Amino acid sequence: MTSKRVVAPYVLILPSFVLAALIVIWPVNELAQIASHSVNRFGQLRDFVGMANFRALLDDPNFIASLWRTGIWTVAVVGGAVICSVPVALVLNEDFYGRDLARVIVMLPWAVSLTMTAIVWRWALSGESGMLNSALLEFGIIDQNIQWLAEASTAFPMQILIGILVTIPFTVTIILGGLSSIPDDLYEAAALEGAGRWEQFRHITLPLITPFLNIALVLNTIYVFNSFPIIWAMTQGGPANSTDILVTYLYKVGFRLGKLGEASAVSLVMFGILLVFTLIYVRLTTSREVKA
Amino acid sequence: MNSSKLRRSIICWLALSPVVVVTIFPFAVMLISALKPSTEVLTPTWWPSRIAWENFQTMWVATNFGNALKNSLYVSVLATLGSLIVSIPAAYALTRFDFKGREFYRQFLLVTQMLSPIVLVVGLFRLMVSLGLIDSINAVTVVYAAFNIAFSVWMLQSYFATIPLDLEEAAWMEGAGRAKTLVKVFLPLAVPAMVVTAIFTFINAWNEFVIALTLLRSQDSYTLPIQIFSLVSGRYTVEWHHVMAATFAATIPVAIAFAWLQRYLVRGLALGAVK
Repeated sequence: MTSKRVVAPYVLILPSFVLAALIVIWPVNELAQIASHSVNRFGQLRDFVGMANFRALLDDPNFIASLWRTGIWTVAVVGGAVICSVPVALVLNEDFYGRDLARVIVMLPWAVSLTMTAIVWRWALSGESGMLNSALLEFGIIDQNIQWLAEASTAFPMQILIGILVTIPFTVTIILGGLSSIPDDLYEAAALEGAGRWEQFRHITLPLITPFLNIALVLNTIYVFNSFPIIWAMTQGGPANSTDILVTYLYKVGFRLGKLGEASAVSLVMFGILLVFTLIYVRLTTSREVKA
Repeated sequence: MNSSKLRRSIICWLALSPVVVVTIFPFAVMLISALKPSTEVLTPTWWPSRIAWENFQTMWVATNFGNALKNSLYVSVLATLGSLIVSIPAAYALTRFDFKGREFYRQFLLVTQMLSPIVLVVGLFRLMVSLGLIDSINAVTVVYAAFNIAFSVWMLQSYFATIPLDLEEAAWMEGAGRAKTLVKVFLPLAVPAMVVTAIFTFINAWNEFVIALTLLRSQDSYTLPIQIFSLVSGRYTVEWHHVMAATFAATIPVAIAFAWLQRYLVRGLALGAVK
């Protein structure tokens, strides 16, 4: 009986462990193989080349540019999303008419595939027949059509804005979870002491939702850093690689140019960066557990 | 009292209005473009002169929508079932057993969650080439199931933890075995959690892009996101009214299911995230 109890949990987790290890962990090994060999476009290994694929990356100005752009992309989207989400979550946490509807609307971008969102925006941003231009012209905000996606100086900021928009739902969700954990009597006590709204926010709300904000920051950083469809479906990293981030660069190098070795090297670089983010996440969540 | 709530409501909606407008905008673009007669699609006016419902019919044929819909349903349903079948026991083990390696297993799941398909796509591609599974939607199904395990276990576990142990203990006292208790007492109580998790897994699979883009090579096996993407990428003329009608038809059912379920997500994710 006792031996059964000891074995049972392992039997229960085994199928999920095997499946996830096979599909998610095994490819990491494949990546290491490909990255350290010369390889054809179907992934057949030739000679061992050591770090040559990594050196080739460092010599490619597009890789360096994509790396920088990934930094800008991640910081701008995650930062923008968190800054927008705090007030949105605070409002959605109030009791007002139509709150359920407002929540549904704010959450809606989450349900739509990023690919579809990107395709719709690509159409809406089209220079000649796009509805954004016609709406802006109508309201007199612009006086001639803007070719939004024709150059990086307008395309990339637009992609960042769309990235923020689709990141808001998840962030709001996490913050709402945090807000709902704050007992009402804290505010009542503060109000009795004569604390105003802003002081209540600064001294009660903000400190209490900080752990949730941290988690939203780290998880969003991982998601946004990995986010492929928005840029791929809108500009494919173009024009002239000027909106490439690491993931689109990786895809282009691997499947357009057929250089799987260099693409694997990019993957491993990303894997290293993601590992750092994950360690931060683990630190944040476990330090909370200790406190609680 | 009531008038103060009314005032607050107006202020709240005003404060939310920028987000609401920007969120609704793409949906409006999608719907309006889908309903414009084909001759008016390229004219930059907002409102169509008449509503062209026939776009949906012509889109269905022109974009091979039915086949892609069938593939998407096949992949998403089977991936959801597969992911649930392996995740339910794992989540049960994590909530009801204290065993050595529990923390290791959790961290293992965390790593699989962090490794997104795009980072692994080259490795997966090579794996599938060596297994001869390029262009197989079954292979895509298995990959989706695997990538959803971490999320499913996380969600299920946070709900399972809220099911009180007393009921199971009572059943044990009456002499029911662990397996019987599981089937008769625990699983019925866990049904809502499973349904919610299933629907989110389904949505994830339904919307996935990069795996399908890489592993599926022929029109016959395309899922909806790839099929619709293929209508706009690398083409000189894009039939935007068809693309928007297809996007609309592929999006709205999922969006409605999501709108209905999003409240459960707030609870489940918040519980799971900070536990």
